[in-house]
Amino acid sequence: MLPTRFLAPCLAAVLLAACAAPVPRHGVPIEPALPRPSFTLTDTRGVPFEFSRETRGLLTFLFFGYTNCPDVCPVHVANVAAVLRKLPFEDQRKARFVFVTADPARDSLPQLRKWLDQFDTSFIGLRGDEVEVTRVMSAVGMPPAIRGAVGPDGRYEVGHSAAVLVFTADDSAHVLYPFGTRQLDWAEDIPRLLRIRPQTED
Amino acid sequence: MQWWCSASGKPWTWAPQYYPGVWLMVAVLAVAFHALSRRGRAMGESRGAFWGGWVAVGLVWQVLDWPIGPLAAGYLASAHALQFVVLALVAPPLLLLATRRPLAASVAALGRARAVAMLVTQPIIAGVLFNVVAIATHVPAVVDALMPTQVGAFTIDVLWLLGGLVLWWPIMVEAPRRSWFSAPVRMLYLFLATLVHTGIAMVMLVRDFPMYGIYELAPPWPAWSPLEDQHLAGGVMELAGAAVVFGIITVMFFRWSGGVEGDAAPPAPPRD
Repeated sequence: MLPTRFLAPCLAAVLLAACAAPVPRHGVPIEPALPRPSFTLTDTRGVPFEFSRETRGLLTFLFFGYTNCPDVCPVHVANVAAVLRKLPFEDQRKARFVFVTADPARDSLPQLRKWLDQFDTSFIGLRGDEVEVTRVMSAVGMPPAIRGAVGPDGRYEVGHSAAVLVFTADDSAHVLYPFGTRQLDWAEDIPRLLRIRPQTED
Repeated sequence: MQWWCSASGKPWTWAPQYYPGVWLMVAVLAVAFHALSRRGRAMGESRGAFWGGWVAVGLVWQVLDWPIGPLAAGYLASAHALQFVVLALVAPPLLLLATRRPLAASVAALGRARAVAMLVTQPIIAGVLFNVVAIATHVPAVVDALMPTQVGAFTIDVLWLLGGLVLWWPIMVEAPRRSWFSAPVRMLYLFLATLVHTGIAMVMLVRDFPMYGIYELAPPWPAWSPLEDQHLAGGVMELAGAAVVFGIITVMFFRWSGGVEGDAAPPAPPRD
């Protein structure tokens, strides 16, 4: 039999673990947590979208990319979309995916909408001029997008951060998910991220 | 230039790519088959079996070279499944059928290596070897680790072809002849030895998430998602594999029930 002097700390540890905020198993932790930024860009309806106000308290995936991206952007967005579709409807309602174009020169609002619709019609597309987008990227600690060399066909690639920032209900980002995050990783982490609550609720 | 198809992570392009390693391997296979099948024809092997063998050489070439080869290596699990079906289940029986007489004679003429040949072609050992290869080369961690390298992708392709030859040898070549390995036992052997690959296909069909990172994170294929592709891969393995296996079991059954068992068996193979 365990002595009572060992039982008490063990019990306390179990209780603490049960009460502690759920920790995501994948992605890269952000310490200290990044507060939800305030910025306003134009959404695909042509209406100003106040990020902080529109997404407050919701699980929010923030990703910078561009619709001509040949590999990383469509794969990353498709993987999140595939997992969000499998969530219970109530959890889906608590989640928002926000895509900010890093290539405003080519990504018109209709182009952005058409591209996002192939993944999920509820995904939000935002556009601003290059200065605005760079300011937003800087506010969340992302490097600015860099336009690559223009090819003979007039096409070019855009170098940009391939990480998805996830803001939880406590209006903070505790983790970011680089390219390479698998659907199974998202499926494990999204329910955990949904359980992170503002501290005042505890 | 790449010598063998491997996952590059680059967006897919329809511009043809050249893989000298594939051409070399197919050339070696074709030369070996030509030499053996000529001897086979001289020993009475049918014209149908001879041409069937050349069809197998052509199929091996098609699934390893552009476009199926690179698609299978880094873009589509379904193309990879097609490779498996061709390399392990379709080409080996056709190749062995056209060359079984000279192969049987070769085994009889082997010196010390005959003991190894007898062991590897022992039906239980052959079945186990094939299934070890089938399982090991479908483990997600193994596939994700091997497919980005040319050596790794080459290893998987060669293992499938060799595993298929080992699986089909006891049925097609019947050398060394084993008295207990009658037609009903051969049918049972083929059924049991291919159950595991059916199980792998079922897993691919029922999983809710993509199993292989190499295909999930590959530049997107416009026609279908990675999960749909995985389900298609499971279907290809399940249906095409079953069609081949049950087709051959059916032929074996009717030959056996018609009393033609052993008619086309290689001459005078040694008993174990």
